[in-house]
Amino acid sequence: MFDFIFKRETPEAIKKGNKAIVRIQRFNPEVDEKPYMEEFEVPMTPDTTVLDALHHIKTEQDGSVTFRRSCRHAICGSCAMNINGSNDLACHRPLSESLDYHGKITIKPLPFQPIIKDLVVDRTTFWAQYMKIKPWLIPPDDIPEKEFRMSPEEVEALHNAETCIMCGACYSSCQVVGLNKEYIGPHALLKSFLRTADPRDSIPGERLEIVDGDNGVYRCHTIFNCIDACPKNLNPTEAIETLRKLAQKRLAYEEAREERQKTLNEPIREA
Amino acid sequence: MYRSTGFISFLLRRISGVALVIYLALHMWVIGSVNQGPEVFNARLNAVQTPIFKLFEIALLAAVVYHAFDGIRLLIVHYFDVTDKRKSLFYAAFAIAAILTVAGGVPILMFMLQG
Amino acid sequence: MRTFQLQRYSAIALLIFLTIHMIVVHYPPFHIDFSRIIERLDDPVWKAIDIAFILAVVIHALAGSYMVLTDFQRVGKYKRVLAGLAIVLGVWAMYYGTVTVLNFTPPV
Repeated sequence: MFDFIFKRETPEAIKKGNKAIVRIQRFNPEVDEKPYMEEFEVPMTPDTTVLDALHHIKTEQDGSVTFRRSCRHAICGSCAMNINGSNDLACHRPLSESLDYHGKITIKPLPFQPIIKDLVVDRTTFWAQYMKIKPWLIPPDDIPEKEFRMSPEEVEALHNAETCIMCGACYSSCQVVGLNKEYIGPHALLKSFLRTADPRDSIPGERLEIVDGDNGVYRCHTIFNCIDACPKNLNPTEAIETLRKLAQKRLAYEEAREERQKTLNEPIREA
Repeated sequence: MYRSTGFISFLLRRISGVALVIYLALHMWVIGSVNQGPEVFNARLNAVQTPIFKLFEIALLAAVVYHAFDGIRLLIVHYFDVTDKRKSLFYAAFAIAAILTVAGGVPILMFMLQG
Repeated sequence: MRTFQLQRYSAIALLIFLTIHMIVVHYPPFHIDFSRIIERLDDPVWKAIDIAFILAVVIHALAGSYMVLTDFQRVGKYKRVLAGLAIVLGVWAMYYGTVTVLNFTPPV
């Protein structure tokens, strides 16, 4: 804490840039009373990611370090953790760019969720809230033989939400989630926006009814942490604001959707 | 903890909001007695004319002005698609609130010191 | 209408009323002129504006307090009690404020 007063000598290897100190928050509920920080020294090259460093610690130094990871391509959403105070994907973040003055990086589990062990958190509420909004597409009864005809503008409108990888970085950066786990959460509201705005979906009214509540879109207090946290540069706040506007004119929106779906499986027009 | 400008604005908004609700109760207690005769009214008014309450008045001004401009910021975010300018908007709201607080606080202080 | 909308519309009303209030009551600065306030409150239009101002303030304060409290998960299950309390408090505050403004007679 008083590092800035008692400046410790930085080891030569770190000064040259081929070593880094990784501070990991450790917690084993069977042994420890509360979480503590542990430091490891790992080798570093310019292309080492934070996940590589964690792998190095687990295989070479301490096999008991626990964390979730899978694809290491920033697409599975398993390795989201709190790196230097902000949520990010460990596989996505270069180690050399995350070091502070002392050549250190601090890794903690995602905040506001119960810790199972070390960097693994219990994401029960995350998935429970996600299931509440019916995250799957419900197509109309008459499915076309080949494909639905959507205009480029309609596809464009979905771009904000469709690359979500469900990593939980936004959910656990949200202070409202920290206060109240009954809040649906930015991840689920973003998904709800994706399904509601999709012209192929046939129950936009029901979706808007689910999110139009005290624990839905109105629990959001526009803190913007979800935008800062998202590793895919998505914008849950904007999606929530859009849902708020749509929820106010729900019936008109439902009607417009019914009209739109009549033309969804029309044949391709000849140019 | 997850620190960001958004969290600071949220915290300040909450604190100033709760402070204003407390002020509202006090304000009703004082001004509400206006029809109960001059003695009651003057007694209550004098209770909140002490120097310490003059300092609270500056804090009240800060709370009102910050809460108002933070509210305007939220209205802008709601009605226009400007989430990518979120940090600038926060700093702008904070700066305007700070300037107005100083502009209003200095006369209050001078008035207090003059007696 | 939801608490959120109540909060938003009363906030817009308050921005207008508070600007009027600041200019009329606290400007020019340095001292509050009671004779001017008395003169102003004789006018029924100003009484109407003041009552509308009180309504906006009461709605905004109670809706805001309700939202601050229900943000805590443990308070969530008492939210109906809180809403009832807020309505009772709001009606009382409106009655008190309206009566005070309407009955106000300048001491000669």
